Amino acid sequence: MGNKITVNPITRLEGHGKIDIFLNENGDVEDAYLQVTELRGFERFCIGRPAEEMPRIVPNICGVCPTPHNMASTKALDSIYGVTPTPAAKLVRTLQYNANFIEDHYIHFFFLAAPDFVVGPEANPVERNILGVINKVGLDIGKRVIDIRRRTRDIIKLIASKPSHPEGGLPGGVPRGIKQEERKTIIETADLCVEFAQFALQLFKDVVLKNKDYLDLILSDVYNLKTYYMALVDENKKVNFYEGKLRVIDPNGKEVSFFHPNDYTEYIGEWVEPWTYVRLTYLRKIGWKGLIEGDDTSLYRVGPLARFNVSEGMATPLAQKEYEQMVSTLGKPAHHTLAYHWARLIEALQAAEDLQRISIDPLLTSTDIRNMNFQFTGKGIGCVEACRGTLIHHYETDNEGLITKVNMIVATQQNAAPIGLSVKKAAQRFIKGGEVREGLLNMAEMAFRAYDPCLGCATHTIHGKMPLVIDVHDHTGNVIKTVSRGA
Amino acid sequence: MQTNIMDNRTLIIGLGNTILSDDGAGILVAREIKKRRNGLKSIDIVEASLGGIGLIDLMADYNTVIIVDSIKTENGNPGTFYKLNINDLGDTAYPCSSHLLDLRTTIELGKKMGYNMPESIDIYAIEIRENTTFSESLSPEVEKAIPELAKKIVEELILI
Repeated sequence: MGNKITVNPITRLEGHGKIDIFLNENGDVEDAYLQVTELRGFERFCIGRPAEEMPRIVPNICGVCPTPHNMASTKALDSIYGVTPTPAAKLVRTLQYNANFIEDHYIHFFFLAAPDFVVGPEANPVERNILGVINKVGLDIGKRVIDIRRRTRDIIKLIASKPSHPEGGLPGGVPRGIKQEERKTIIETADLCVEFAQFALQLFKDVVLKNKDYLDLILSDVYNLKTYYMALVDENKKVNFYEGKLRVIDPNGKEVSFFHPNDYTEYIGEWVEPWTYVRLTYLRKIGWKGLIEGDDTSLYRVGPLARFNVSEGMATPLAQKEYEQMVSTLGKPAHHTLAYHWARLIEALQAAEDLQRISIDPLLTSTDIRNMNFQFTGKGIGCVEACRGTLIHHYETDNEGLITKVNMIVATQQNAAPIGLSVKKAAQRFIKGGEVREGLLNMAEMAFRAYDPCLGCATHTIHGKMPLVIDVHDHTGNVIKTVSRGA
Repeated sequence: MQTNIMDNRTLIIGLGNTILSDDGAGILVAREIKKRRNGLKSIDIVEASLGGIGLIDLMADYNTVIIVDSIKTENGNPGTFYKLNINDLGDTAYPCSSHLLDLRTTIELGKKMGYNMPESIDIYAIEIRENTTFSESLSPEVEKAIPELAKKIVEELILI
């Protein structure tokens, strides 16, 4: 290998959604780093506020995943106030949470992932978007996605008032229950969601898995990354989005940790590298081993593929069958980054089936929706699986319930180092001897999108530009090529 | 004039995040407009912190939409504001950020889906200084620009 490259500290100043690729003296890829503009000062912002305000503040962190933040925060409050939600309240929360999973996964799949496959990675970029997908597979599918989204958001609205800024989030319960007359619409939505989930999976199989080129792409080494994986599982070690214990498996599938989220600080370390503001996570018991994959790594991934790998199956029957097919095609653990998309669709099916189960549960319409028997503890850790991965909210308060400490471990933070590695592998294919071949941006983007990363500042649309920019640096750190799309 | 106003459903959308320093400038402009809205009977004003297809829900069935948002350009002077038309934005691009579509794609998608999308969309953008630190305070230049932009928008609406 060439000489060690001094990383140019100027890269810290540059904006979000940026990747820096560093070449060695031979002009080949040495490293690649994902730069994420991390939002700063959240802890300071929260200190001194009443803990019960947190569920209403945290959805403002991100315009893309407000519901998971609201839910993790609410669970942290349960812990601070030492209270267990009533069974009916838990059903209502899970109803809301499943609706969010369905909505979010389909928006990602049809708007961001499907264009890679349905339109194709070599297609004209102007066509490789949702409009291109509609032109290929028909307007009806687009309308069905929009309809599912509207129906699932209506469920969230029913419970939390505003899907984009969930309200409520009460320790020990939920702000309102479900009325008997509302059940019918929920049942209809659940049935439609199960039907659509099966359709979406069939589309994925027909368009992607039966296409040799795409299947080869999924299976290719370029998109293979050997890491540890972490996710919540239930008491049967099945996938669960709302609760459970965190399970960690090694790159060969062996369980190495199984712990309650309250103990996360013993298992998850946060590391700072000079080239980024993001605190990269690693498995503390192994120690920081740097940005490497393989058996010697201490990096782990979270999200749909991690949940597939970590669990011993899906919690619902139809999703379980799909899981089994994925296992037989890819093996387990599956290190194929593009398989995040397949896992995502299976999860949408589990969320839909669970929605069905809840919609017909007699307890759903119970009025016993709040447990007010508080035993104040002053410390709370709430953990859920967000669509894009494990999410942990950790709060501590003084005796009056005012916040004294906040820490959050978010999904994209945990995936940040692996994303850099995935992009590096794509880059190694397209950059040789300092020559940057066409196709670099497409392939790097595909790796990037598979993780469904959540970048800060992601609520603006008027710029109309690609947020992903790639700077290629020579061995002295100088930028020799910038690859981007748009302006 | 009165007839035109009554027939023309107009929506003002303030975009941003009010706990993220200057990022919430668009929302604050919308609030300022709300205070000055006498005489603008057929104007609806909403605040939103979303993008992409979430905007379709908001914009459907309006004739005219005005979006107010913050912007950070290279070498921009905080407090400056711009008026943009939808055509000033770049060509449809493939978003990498999760769930986002650029505005033009959003409009095209809404039309394709059969929504009644606005005939006229204008965008007012305020140059900001800071949008990566959580704070409810604004940069002084941005704070000063908010009532000025609100006043300008109200005046233009009255002239319609």
